[in-house]
Amino acid sequence: MFSFFNKKSSAKTAKDRLTIAIMSDRQNANSFPNMDAMKAEIIEVVKKYMGVKAIDIKREVNGDMEALSIDVQLDNK
Amino acid sequence: MGIIIAVISGKGGVGKTTTTANIGLGIALNGKKCVVVDFDIGQRNLDMILGLENRVVYDMVQVMDGEVKLKQALIKSKMSDNLQFLAASQTKDKSVLDSQKILNLVTELSKEFDFVILDAPAGIETGYEHTIEFADRAIIVVNPEVSSIRDADRAIGILDSKSQKVKDGGEVMKYLIINRIDAKMVQSGEMLASEDILAILSIPLIGKIPEDKGIIDASNQGKPIILDNSSLAGKAYSRISARLCGQEVPLENVEVLKSGLMSKIKGIFK
Ligand SMILES: Nc1ncnc2c1ncn2[C@@H]1O[C@H](COP(=O)(O)OP(=O)(O)OP(=O)(O)O)[C@@H](O)[C@H]1O
Ligand SMILES: [Mg+2]
Repeated sequence: MFSFFNKKSSAKTAKDRLTIAIMSDRQNANSFPNMDAMKAEIIEVVKKYMGVKAIDIKREVNGDMEALSIDVQLDNK
Repeated sequence: MGIIIAVISGKGGVGKTTTTANIGLGIALNGKKCVVVDFDIGQRNLDMILGLENRVVYDMVQVMDGEVKLKQALIKSKMSDNLQFLAASQTKDKSVLDSQKILNLVTELSKEFDFVILDAPAGIETGYEHTIEFADRAIIVVNPEVSSIRDADRAIGILDSKSQKVKDGGEVMKYLIINRIDAKMVQSGEMLASEDILAILSIPLIGKIPEDKGIIDASNQGKPIILDNSSLAGKAYSRISARLCGQEVPLENVEVLKSGLMSKIKGIFK
């Protein structure tokens, strides 16, 4: 019974799972190897001088230009 | 200058080589000069599908390295005077490809031919990146199946960031082919429908190819299925080829089974 039901609706299941997987793939496409390690090191450096709440690193490609954008959110307290 | 089209998929084995052979021949049969180039270095296959494996003397790497003239390496198809073929090298060393040499080769080809079609290797590694590097357009082949669609999306991401056209601020025109559709399974909800795939990938559709056992026979004989105009897949490839040549051909819905009231009703709305 159950397997019959599953079989019937599996295209819908495929669509839902794909939508989520692809969304997350597209987000990760802007990352690069060792991004987390670099993040941790930058946090350590900034922390020496001021409070850090969060950090966001992105690699952006714009035409021929490739840029690393680093957003450091400070801890105001 | 001719148009350079890369045939890509991300995942392997979904029908790139079959598609390259059929639309290459289809375009040639439409009266345009066309060359198909096997970019699958180390895994030469397109020659077999075109029935030209016995005629290969020189390959594209020898042309790129200047060892032989392009004219010496190009092989004329027996099936159309307008179609020529350039073989992949069988060397295992994939680092033979180099951007400048590829640019020279495709530029030379695009001076001689209206269409230059490049059959990409499986995957999204350097061999793939080299295939898309100088493409004006890309045909993305998928099967109605999760891993194929997911990998295609990643291949498209690379196309949109690494091709020369994009680096120059332009865009590579993209067309989707959904291959190996099983109408019965789509109808019963067991296979992803094309609307779903289009919604996920959001690139324009240029054609749908049904699952067709005749494709095995076609490759056995080295005669692309487009030559069999009674076959469903052959007809689908003919329509795609005509569209690529700029003709307006309505989309046939291969996802509904022929005969029966439903297909007629749906046909009205297509
Ligand atoms: N519409 C179809 N119906 C039935 N079989 C098909 C169809 N399309 C492709 N095939 C079969 O699928 C297999 C893989 O096709 P093909 O070699 O064209 O894929 P590919 O994407 O070029 O593979 P690779 O990534 O290894 O280069 C072949 O055996 C081919 O005959
Ligand atoms: Mg292939």
